[in-house]
Amino acid sequence: MQSNSSNNNNQPQTSHTSTSRSSDSGEACGGGNKWASKLLSECARAISEKDSSKIHHLLWMLNELASPYGDCDQKLASYFLQALFCKATDSGQRCFKTLATVAEKSHSFDSARKLILKFQEVSPWTTFGHVASNGAILEALDGESKLHIIDISNTLCTQWPTLLEALATRNDETPRLKLTVVVTASIVKSVMKEIGQRMEKFARLMGVPFEFNVISGLNHIGELTKEGLGVREDEAVAINCVGALRRVEVDERNSVIQLLRSLSPRVVTVVEEEADFSSSRYDFVRCFEECLRFYTLYFEMLEESFAPTSNERLMLERECSRNIIRVLACDEENGGGECERREQGIQWSGRLREAFSPVGFSDDVVDDVKALLKRYKAGWALVLAQGDNHESGIYLTWKEEPVVWASAWKP
Amino acid sequence: MLQSLIPQSPINSTDPNNSSSSMKSKRAAGDFTAGDSSSEDPSSKRASYEKPTTETDSRGDDGGEASGLRLLGLLLQCAECVAIDNLNGATDLLPEIAELSSPFGSSPERVGAYFAHALQARVVSSYLANQAIFQALDGEDRVHVIDFDIMQGLQWPGLFHILASRPKKIRSMRITGFGSSSELLESTGRRLADFASSLGLPFEFHPLEGKIGNVTDLSQLGVRPQEAIVVHWMHHCLYDVTGSDLGTLKLLTLLRPKLITTVEQDLSHGGSFLARFVEALHYYSALFDALGDGFGADSVERHMVEQQLFGCEIRNIVAVGGPKRTGEVKVERWGDELRRVGFGPVSLGGSPAAQASLLLGMFPWKGYTLVEENGCLKLGWKDLSLLTASAWRPAD
Repeated sequence: MQSNSSNNNNQPQTSHTSTSRSSDSGEACGGGNKWASKLLSECARAISEKDSSKIHHLLWMLNELASPYGDCDQKLASYFLQALFCKATDSGQRCFKTLATVAEKSHSFDSARKLILKFQEVSPWTTFGHVASNGAILEALDGESKLHIIDISNTLCTQWPTLLEALATRNDETPRLKLTVVVTASIVKSVMKEIGQRMEKFARLMGVPFEFNVISGLNHIGELTKEGLGVREDEAVAINCVGALRRVEVDERNSVIQLLRSLSPRVVTVVEEEADFSSSRYDFVRCFEECLRFYTLYFEMLEESFAPTSNERLMLERECSRNIIRVLACDEENGGGECERREQGIQWSGRLREAFSPVGFSDDVVDDVKALLKRYKAGWALVLAQGDNHESGIYLTWKEEPVVWASAWKP
Repeated sequence: MLQSLIPQSPINSTDPNNSSSSMKSKRAAGDFTAGDSSSEDPSSKRASYEKPTTETDSRGDDGGEASGLRLLGLLLQCAECVAIDNLNGATDLLPEIAELSSPFGSSPERVGAYFAHALQARVVSSYLANQAIFQALDGEDRVHVIDFDIMQGLQWPGLFHILASRPKKIRSMRITGFGSSSELLESTGRRLADFASSLGLPFEFHPLEGKIGNVTDLSQLGVRPQEAIVVHWMHHCLYDVTGSDLGTLKLLTLLRPKLITTVEQDLSHGGSFLARFVEALHYYSALFDALGDGFGADSVERHMVEQQLFGCEIRNIVAVGGPKRTGEVKVERWGDELRRVGFGPVSLGGSPAAQASLLLGMFPWKGYTLVEENGCLKLGWKDLSLLTASAWRPAD
């Protein structure tokens, strides 16, 4: 990978020369002194060393300085403090369940849709994967008349209108499209009915023969079957996995990939966020550092992308807090389809190569993605994976750090 | 008027009442759910209702009212949990409170956001304070707490919980409480005794009317051998707790308690935590309402003012050990004095150099100051207030 990111586990270091300071400087997030990551890292180390007086002193300091409504340091301190506190009081599982239940209750079609659309408006974080995947799917299914796309994601179908448009405006005969959405996040299940209705209406308007199905009763993806998905012999199947594989328990990932293979797809598109919470899952400090690195990037990106008083940004930040607690303060063994242990592109590539071979994105698709990135604020770029390292796919980078990975595969 | 919503003796209820059911005051409901000019996202994200159409109708059945009332009820319920040290109960309520509130929403949502954060912080600091005490009392089975100004004694149920849940059972737990009113001391003693007996803790209460500084003889405190003594010293800016500073220090030297916990607190907002909380909620609701009228819905300026100024103030009022509004001279003096008579701060394990370098690294921006001085950690904000971390033990 040609991006010049430093070792994933390093924290940016800043130097200090005085004993006390105060400032009202409106320094941009990330340009400051990163006091939060220092305190947090010290605390994580103290926890793994079981140094209880140090743990408590650091938690006290973090508690004094943290705020979920302040600058990035204060926010990171606040959300990570919550996870550390859960870990220290052994209440991670309970806290996560409470947070998830509350979020589900207050989630509505309107709020979810507004959130996703606003995020897509200000940041290519999600649209990057959509554009790349749609390009690969259209190219792989070119010439087919019966398409079946199996969408394993929680993107509320925001990926598909552009694909439907592309199908409708093709020169040859418009194919039939069956879209089967497999929903894994409990928060999303309740809104899928309305989404289905909208998709059907849109397809009608586009003049694309369309069928829509939702599968949401699963405990985990491993339960999917060809019959359950309604896959027929005369269909050309594409499987679209956006943020889906990270929800599978780590030990089951390879077998899920084999399951996907058994559906005989023409193409599989995989989009994941670029972080490794998986290989370090039994090493608290390493996992913590990686978590901190990733979410620092994410929070900084959110702060620069949204307006300062944005409720959408706040909701995205709160979603992070659930994930952080899940990764750092919950036991390894519990199912529920909300695993959240991300892996990097190179790790996913290693797994996918057991059942598939990579398909490079065509120049057209790469151009489309680059054109997409131009529509956003500066800082975003596309980086191709280095094929010789058994990597494949493309990375979305923000300030030269890879953040999202997209790839395409065929049997 | 919000005071009327608080049950009389929160300390007696292990299961806090749902305050929203006791809401009768129309005025109170109106205060908290006054309509607001914000026209955007924050309210529309709630599934259950539409935006209220008239701002003055407080009898309305629409969800804006319901949401505001629910938020208020949850805040009070959470505060009650914190007041009796039911940290699990408080933690269970905080996510929903957070979900209903936002610093970028309507007035009640904004007030709710800062109070939610303050309560969250308070839960953490209560837990940490309990841990410090737990560690100090490790291995001890006779505990004697001397509280220089016990008031309603709301500090102590938390300790009772800790001691009751230890594997090594407590043989004796005594509290000697100073106060100015013998009636209050008596009722406090009774309440604490009830609480202790409900936990199966052996408990004795020894009330002392007057001030610690006037005590000249250890025997007046009923000190017994082989007791771990914990002194709890709350500083007030409005009145003199100890009576005689010199006398107090002499006594501490003789006493050599295992642990001294000191708390700086601005009591101009009231006595007990709960009363303070309610009063603050009322005050800031009105204030945020006023601010809401003056700025636009999206106002970044208003957000900065609220987050930096009021967020801190609210936090200070709600947190144990909020900053005092008087000068820092008093604090430093006590630190020095304690040090002079042979106490050192309870702080990080490890060498002072390691401590110092850890602390030197912490420079939060946006108006906070963090100073490490003489082993004491001082947190300031815009030079207006200081919080001093304080736990002391004999420096041998």
